Amino acid sequence: MTKENNLTPDVIIKSFKDKFKTKIIDAQIKKKPAGSEKKEAIDIWMKVDKSVFKNVIKHLCDLQYPHLPVASGNDLGKNIELIYHFTLNFDKRLEEINLNISVELPKSKPEIETICDLIPGALITEREKQEFLGVKIKGIPDDRRVFLPDDFPKDVYPWRRDEKGLEKLYKNLHEVKK
Amino acid sequence: MKFSMLPSVFTQMFKKPWTNKFPAKYAPDNTTQFLADVGAGKAELIPPIETPPNFRGKIKYDKEKCTGCKLCLKVCPCEAIEFKEKEKKIKIYLSRCCFCSQCNDICPSNCLSMSDEFLLADIDPYSKDLIVE
Amino acid sequence: MSQTTKTTYHIPIGPIHPALKEPVYFEFEIDGERIVDVDVKLGHVHRAVEWASRKRNPIQIMYLAERICGICSYCHPAAFTLAVEKAADIQVPERAEYLRVIQAEVERITSHALWAGVAAHEIGFDTVLFLTWEMREKLMDLTEFLCGNRVTKGILTIGGIRRDITSDMVPKVTGVLDYLKDNFERLRKIFLDDKTIKMRAQGAGILTNDNALKLCAVGPTTRASGVKKDVRVGQSYFAYGDLNIDYVTPDTLTGEVNGDVYDRIIQRLLEIKQSIDLIEQCLDKMPKGDITYEPKIAKVLNQLKKAEGEGVGRHEAPRGEVIHYVKLDGNEAPFTWKVRAPTYNNILPWIPMLKGEQIADIPIVAASTDPCMSCTNRVGIVKDGNKYELTKEELHRLSVEKTRRLMR
Repeated sequence: MTKENNLTPDVIIKSFKDKFKTKIIDAQIKKKPAGSEKKEAIDIWMKVDKSVFKNVIKHLCDLQYPHLPVASGNDLGKNIELIYHFTLNFDKRLEEINLNISVELPKSKPEIETICDLIPGALITEREKQEFLGVKIKGIPDDRRVFLPDDFPKDVYPWRRDEKGLEKLYKNLHEVKK
Repeated sequence: MKFSMLPSVFTQMFKKPWTNKFPAKYAPDNTTQFLADVGAGKAELIPPIETPPNFRGKIKYDKEKCTGCKLCLKVCPCEAIEFKEKEKKIKIYLSRCCFCSQCNDICPSNCLSMSDEFLLADIDPYSKDLIVE
Repeated sequence: MSQTTKTTYHIPIGPIHPALKEPVYFEFEIDGERIVDVDVKLGHVHRAVEWASRKRNPIQIMYLAERICGICSYCHPAAFTLAVEKAADIQVPERAEYLRVIQAEVERITSHALWAGVAAHEIGFDTVLFLTWEMREKLMDLTEFLCGNRVTKGILTIGGIRRDITSDMVPKVTGVLDYLKDNFERLRKIFLDDKTIKMRAQGAGILTNDNALKLCAVGPTTRASGVKKDVRVGQSYFAYGDLNIDYVTPDTLTGEVNGDVYDRIIQRLLEIKQSIDLIEQCLDKMPKGDITYEPKIAKVLNQLKKAEGEGVGRHEAPRGEVIHYVKLDGNEAPFTWKVRAPTYNNILPWIPMLKGEQIADIPIVAASTDPCMSCTNRVGIVKDGNKYELTKEELHRLSVEKTRRLMR
């Protein structure tokens, strides 16, 4: 299901930069060889401003429908960073490209739009970010918790490293044994 | 209606089963009496199957070669090794060990090795058989 | 006579799972015997594994990753080492890459043999369960010979592999491969030529090509619906870039793709054949050399302590694609470690697969996607609901009874 038949990393980055100009903050290509013949695996790391996030994803779906394994998150002190890992070109031998798009949200207002209308398979990973990092995802079809039990305290977000993290609930194993 | 498994079922009825009947053919009624009989020579224990070479069983510790560098503590994933400050030697708790043998690989003086003993069940996790020092 | 309207009623199933021995909670809305809607709840075996990594250095995390799941205990350390090697820019020697491929393929055959037995047990064919698990015992003996242990292998390390396959070990490996090739024909005849399995499996639990793409399904579940997604073929990692490998879809055997349970059985049997072929290619082509890039582990730990960067590691496990994300920032423990197991993405496809099926088909459809709940949830608190529940024995009995009915 490809509209353009050869999407190399340079072509991809150029198409995003042409459309969104300065809102793409940074784009890097990394290659790693493996095996005896040293064929390379390609990664693209892109940083995007949060105001154009939904349009970037729509542009990507028009370019070629991606595969979304998971989205991961980091707590960077003042901001929360969400990284969406996509894969393109997955039906050709040795031409897969990993595209990692990262967005930064300030902790005072951690909100972002959902992509479930474009990629329905993103439902479980968005629910996981809501309960583990405290990000509010606007327009998500299903709002419940996915991994934590329902009687877990409401304001505690396990992946954060500040006062809303897990430090108070943690018990040291060796102390309990005594 | 044809059953494609029927020939296999017939051949299976005449084959000897694979199971090795360790330690005895049927479970004994009185375990301590059975062990006393084995000691006196009246009953026989069937041995378990041989382990392959390089099997990771109970850990063996050579106390003289140890230099007290504490590298094995750094790399144990289960925190099963304790350091004795005064003697500068280590103490290993087998009830926490996961038999990964990572401490063998990192030790610079090669004083740790894995034997092929695997019959280690015990009632008390801190009994003498389960502490190596 | 007064008019009565027919309404649907809800049946909760779980957390004791019907098709596999792991806890998942389903809630079905049923009209007579047909399923109208499905809802899935997870979280029963969540164990805080990612949080436990914040106090450990990368070599200790390898053993933590191995214990996320018992059946797929090689794929999580494999994806973790790929991610760390990308983040810290470590180059692995060539012989180690080929050895890693051999271990991965042995694990794949073991897992598919286990699945074949479980699927046959759900239909009601217990004899086939014991036959496939007898084949699996030979593979477990081979694993014990190569790695030292049957299940938690402990054979990977950052920058290489811990044990070599020397030339006096190779005859044993080829002996087991010959035994598998002889028995493969027997297995194929039982699964694919038997009328009962065809009756139960054809037309049940269909996942269309369109749904599989949109819901981002992975692994044999999506390849059986015709979508060509396989990390080993698309990306060059370990030594897969040098080997002769191609996408396997059911139309290589039958000529058409339906996306039902029967196609998934064909898909997994064809993958066993592909794995045997890959191991033989590796044993022929393996070069000589070292097996790790640095034999002294203390130096590896020092290098990782100073490294900074982020990396994504992807590997094709027997159930699908495993992806790990690691961020190193100059401390002993990594800053972030995110694990995503393959069953995570295969849960949403259950909903279109189960709508319109009968209750007695639930075990075989759910088992055909090969779920592994311990991989999916990673922190554990088990709670008991106090609603009326259909237990695992009830569902299994219903499934076996349907087979007996169809046989008459």
